[in-house]
Amino acid sequence: MHWNVIANNLTYLLVGAYPHGELGGLAMTILMALGGIFGAFWLGLVFGLMRLSKKRWLYLPALAYIEIIRGTPLLMLIFWFYFLAPVLWGRSLPGHQSALISLIIFTSAYIAEIVRAGVLGLPKGQMEAARGTGLSRMRAMRHVILPQALFNMVPSFVNQFVSLTKDTSLAFIIGVNELTKAATQVNNRTMVAPTEIFITIALLYFVICYVLTAFSRRLEKKIMRYQARQR
Amino acid sequence: MRKWTGIFAALMALMFAVSTAQAGKLEDIKAKGKLVAGIKDSQQPFGFVDEKTKDIVGFEIDIVKYIADQMGVKLELKPVTSATRIPLLTQGEVDIVAATMTHQKQRESQVDFSITYFMTGQRLLVKKGGDIKSAKDLAGKKVGSAKGSTSEQNMKKAEPDCTVVSFETYPEAFLALKQGKVEAVTTDEAILVGIKYSDDNPDNWDIVGDYISAEPYGLGVVQNDSKFRNYVNQTLMKMWETGEYQKVYAKWFGKDTKNYIPLTWKMELWP
Repeated sequence: MHWNVIANNLTYLLVGAYPHGELGGLAMTILMALGGIFGAFWLGLVFGLMRLSKKRWLYLPALAYIEIIRGTPLLMLIFWFYFLAPVLWGRSLPGHQSALISLIIFTSAYIAEIVRAGVLGLPKGQMEAARGTGLSRMRAMRHVILPQALFNMVPSFVNQFVSLTKDTSLAFIIGVNELTKAATQVNNRTMVAPTEIFITIALLYFVICYVLTAFSRRLEKKIMRYQARQR
Repeated sequence: MRKWTGIFAALMALMFAVSTAQAGKLEDIKAKGKLVAGIKDSQQPFGFVDEKTKDIVGFEIDIVKYIADQMGVKLELKPVTSATRIPLLTQGEVDIVAATMTHQKQRESQVDFSITYFMTGQRLLVKKGGDIKSAKDLAGKKVGSAKGSTSEQNMKKAEPDCTVVSFETYPEAFLALKQGKVEAVTTDEAILVGIKYSDDNPDNWDIVGDYISAEPYGLGVVQNDSKFRNYVNQTLMKMWETGEYQKVYAKWFGKDTKNYIPLTWKMELWP
């Protein structure tokens, strides 16, 4: 075994060439995952609510967006967007930004459907009662429906976010220096330690995903206590 | 998946080839004061990240560095992959591609190539002392490769009765050879040498057989800009004639390196 390969290249796998050069490796994976989760949540929420609207001009575009994005492989989306962006913007985006936007766009379509399921999953009476108190549909959604629905969505969200975290590895196709790419670089240079290197990055991926799920479990417990007190 | 990325790349290149009608790449580069080179960052010894300095170094980096120096401009390195190198070039994101790209006829429809700056060919890496001496001995056996469809096709042409198993990268293919999952690994000799000498016991392995195919590497430049291409060609020749090329070659492929390949070919030199 060649575990010394891992020892010699550990900092490269963790942070890339930083601070001497560009950030990469695990740090880039985490940054992309966090950015992706944040962006996908808000964009997905917007599209999910649009999809729930009764107004045609709101739900039709959302429906089209969700269907198109869900019907596209993420790998292709990342690749296409990388070359489409300069045409749309007139200037090129760095690979990691381009990949991040693709991840947000892709995941938000799934988040939108989770939001829709969560809201539809509540008893109809909730909305009727809220409207009965004189709240507008918007405000009823914001203050009565969403606080309950979002809680129910947490497990599905976590599912999607864990999936997104692992999907960051697909950014290697456009040369983004995240964990998988860094591992490939080390692997191709040292040649003799593919097993050791890929065991290491599998472990690293597991650790970040575990931290994410552990965090969500704590969050759920906290909200549960809070909700119990309200009842 | 490599096949897919190849198709994507071809599609993208076609789509955007029209949108970038360049007016004088040479003047362009001099005006902006930098040469943007698309290079590999995970292909030892052509372009890879140095373990200590964490800079991108390698044979191809030294080649484009020489060209940038001759132009009197700064060099900017942009890592590319096999899937992105051609579209990035046609889109004008990079000025030149030095990324182990074989000069193939079918690529001529998308980009132009410089003269050959590195000559290699596809051969076989096998266990020393085994039965396999050439491609013919592989009839009915399994061969590992990592380069996707071209290596696979070449191998199939040389010996139709063998099974080619494609791996994602070369280290995996080599691991399969060690574990006896395949009888040989086939790809460009330059890469096989690197694999062989990175092993703990390089003497256990042998590179055998004639060239299954020739793999001349050329620098990729944007299509239909003969002024720039001429400049690149003449700079490469100058590099060879002044002995700078041989110096760089010795640095990466010389006797003291772990990629020792004797310099047996000659660059095409115009009078």
